[in-house]
Amino acid sequence: MPGLIGFYTFGEGRENWDASHFIRYGLSALQGRGQESISLSTIGPGRTLHTLGGKGGVEEFFQKNRTSIPKGFIGIGQTSSYADDYLVHVKAPYELVLALDGKTDLHEDRGEATKLFARQLSQLLHSEKEPLKATSMLINKIGGGYSFVALTHKQEFITGRNPLGVKPLDTGSVGFDIAAVASETCALDVMGIDHTGPVETGEVIIFTPEDIRGNTPTTDVGNFCSYEYVYLARLDSQVNTLPVAKVRNSIGRELAKTHPAKADVVIGVPETALPMANGYSQESGLPLELGFVRTGENIRAALKPTQKERLVGVQLKLNPVKSAVEDRDVVLVDDSVVRGNTLQNTVVNLKRKGAKRVHIRIGSPALVSSCPYGVEIPPKDELVSGSLDEEKLANSVGADSISFMTVEELQRAIGLPRENLCMRCFEKGGATR
Amino acid sequence: MRVMGVGGGARENALAWKIGLSDHKPEIFWIAENRNPGLHKICKDNQGELRIGRTTDPKTIVRSARGWGIDLVIVGPEEPCFQGIPDALEKEGIHCIGASQELSVIERSKADLRRLQWENNLAGKLLFRTFKNAREASDYIRKNIDTQRWLQNIVIKPARQSGGKGVKLIEDRQAYLHDEKARFKEAYFDSLQARMAAYSDIEDKILVEEKAWGPEYSLQCFTDGKTVLGTPLVQDNKSAHELDSGPETGGMGSISGPDMTLPFITREEYDKSLKIIEGIVEAIQRKTGNSYRGMVGGQMMLTENEGPTVIEMYSRLGDPEALNMLAMLRTDIIDVFQAIVERRLSKLKLEFTNEDAVVVKVVAPNGYPEKRDSAKGHPVQVFETNIKRNGCYLFWGSADLQEDSQVMTAGSRLLALMAMDHTLPPASARIEKTMSSVQLTDGWGLYHRSDIGSEQLLAKRQDAAERVRRLYKYREERGTLGSRIGWVPKLGTVDPSQLLLQEVRGPGKA
Repeated sequence: MPGLIGFYTFGEGRENWDASHFIRYGLSALQGRGQESISLSTIGPGRTLHTLGGKGGVEEFFQKNRTSIPKGFIGIGQTSSYADDYLVHVKAPYELVLALDGKTDLHEDRGEATKLFARQLSQLLHSEKEPLKATSMLINKIGGGYSFVALTHKQEFITGRNPLGVKPLDTGSVGFDIAAVASETCALDVMGIDHTGPVETGEVIIFTPEDIRGNTPTTDVGNFCSYEYVYLARLDSQVNTLPVAKVRNSIGRELAKTHPAKADVVIGVPETALPMANGYSQESGLPLELGFVRTGENIRAALKPTQKERLVGVQLKLNPVKSAVEDRDVVLVDDSVVRGNTLQNTVVNLKRKGAKRVHIRIGSPALVSSCPYGVEIPPKDELVSGSLDEEKLANSVGADSISFMTVEELQRAIGLPRENLCMRCFEKGGATR
Repeated sequence: MRVMGVGGGARENALAWKIGLSDHKPEIFWIAENRNPGLHKICKDNQGELRIGRTTDPKTIVRSARGWGIDLVIVGPEEPCFQGIPDALEKEGIHCIGASQELSVIERSKADLRRLQWENNLAGKLLFRTFKNAREASDYIRKNIDTQRWLQNIVIKPARQSGGKGVKLIEDRQAYLHDEKARFKEAYFDSLQARMAAYSDIEDKILVEEKAWGPEYSLQCFTDGKTVLGTPLVQDNKSAHELDSGPETGGMGSISGPDMTLPFITREEYDKSLKIIEGIVEAIQRKTGNSYRGMVGGQMMLTENEGPTVIEMYSRLGDPEALNMLAMLRTDIIDVFQAIVERRLSKLKLEFTNEDAVVVKVVAPNGYPEKRDSAKGHPVQVFETNIKRNGCYLFWGSADLQEDSQVMTAGSRLLALMAMDHTLPPASARIEKTMSSVQLTDGWGLYHRSDIGSEQLLAKRQDAAERVRRLYKYREERGTLGSRIGWVPKLGTVDPSQLLLQEVRGPGKA
């Protein structure tokens, strides 16, 4: 799953800005969405597209390529959780670079589907007189669930979100001369840019040196990814104008109400589930303790490509604090369960530090289907909840109980109408729309 | 009675419209640099004439006024004031509503305005510093940025009014982006210096001001030099595009009403703003020995450090803010002008509607404001009956009526549409409904901001106002309003306000 950045400048002196600095820190803020592959493209004094991609993380990439980073006054960037997943560069008939979060339905393979989308965009921009109309037509025609940013050789920056609106995308501006787009608002904050609201479902915005133009967004209410609120988005972001922190607190409170446990203490699995544990504690009255200490940098374990890397990630971040759990019955709050084996590791560690009982509470429904829009939820046969019910799962990870939220409870916690949320990964046989 | 106006924008079209509604039934004459179709019609309908001429040339203006036997002249834009049109007319014994050359310095020189505020230690000011060239500005900032921290977050402006453009806002709050911001500041000083070389009428070329944040609003006033009468607050929107993004323009549309304040500004803030403007009018009259007869406006912002704060001053009505104010004005405008001329404004009962909110939206051709040449010369088609049927008003701006009665774009803001209603959102919606009544027949595009007057944008303003209000009110309670004391390692406390006061007023007087 990629994180996207677009950075645009206007007016007198615009060529003095260097977009790559802003893109660097914007991508850093989005690395929670994955950072296996980093790429960016800018237009500089030579007025041509200049692109560079390489292995992540974001900081390593920018450090390592210090001298060859493309400098320019406008640009786009992408950080991706997939290996070798870079901006698509289409040279003809209309030269452009494009980054896409989500997946179009043009091909089985996500990467190929993105390439085909970029080629069709290039084709349409070449044949149609009005780029805005052409791009609107395209996103209404091509299905799937996606948001994208693109930069053309004519200095047009094109961004859009398809009518389904699964993938988030937000806009920002500062002063009269800078505008930006990012997958999450936290990246706008880090770049020092004020929020100006989400790209609406079915909306296309085109930035040119002279102006910004948008189409009229479709009337689709959107089908927003619920997993953004559960796990993907950063705590300090607002997704579809809803603050993620507030949603995660509500999830914790909802869990405490509907899935209570007899216990002495609540602890959360860092980082995502900490605000959920806090909500659980506030609602239940059970004290909250900080149960784990992390070694090294924050690792998004679930997004790591191999099982070994995922385990290493979890073990490094989950060294239990003995005094928090010793001789106590513990509620362990986590955001979601994918394969279940990292959870087993965690429970064993808690018990070895002296926890009496461990009741696991999950701040989302059981994951039972893969994501048709490109989030790294593995195939069904790798999802533990696809095979085991709650009791068997508890036994298998060594916990005294485990319970998941229902789809209805999660929807209530998020606070959006059911038809406004995509919950396909939580539903058996969750087909694409 | 014969009245003559100067200037050819939407503001002047609105002034002429209001003058045409006067019970004094004046004959209306006008001088503009473009054949504004709105002015053309009003002049014709009121036994007058629209003449094309240089609005900044005192000879042209005086000759026309004499020739037509004019009793009263109203100057619309700022540049004729800067060039002394009101002075030339008064010298000839022709009454004129408009700031004299010396008084209009409050708008022409942004540096002189700040100096005036600090010399008199008036409320509502911002820290500033002027520079003769780019080198001086860069050196000063480099040397002082660690001790005078306000230099991190600054607004860079041409020190002289130069067509309302060239303002850069640079916030340097992220240490990791500091090098980039510092580099950009210096590069921008260089390009500003090159541009300002064309103006020899001022010594200081570059103005650097403390950057504040908060909601902006305009307070326009009538003054006869003794009395300053406030009119309803108006908020203009300077960014070219939706949700305040994109290049700076002269103003893309404005909101006001339904009473004297705006939905996000309090009556107390209105009163404070008016006091601030009165203070400036008084100070500039004292300094120049001139008496102010005309319009004066404060482009204000609520800020954390000061509460109501002057961003810039107008020595005229705003464009498009004038449209809102004139639409709400109930008093006969000729009575207002006569009271100004006879210096009896204090006796005048100035009345405004308190049940109508007004939304104005400007329509501009693509290419404005960055590439005006490309925005020029496109044929315009307007369905006026549709506009009227939707209860909207049309005011022409940068448009040119040709011999064959075809209207062409003149490169700047083409026209403004206005609607009134009990609250702002329905007025905004009414304009949206009739927007298709304005077209260019050669296929060139037009744009406007659909968000002006919308619930969404109002909510955003409200939110910003409440956040700033909490902060400045807290300072007010603690008695630290206007103070910017900081602590610098090894140096101890530094108060840039005191430093500036001492510098401007001389040692010992601060």
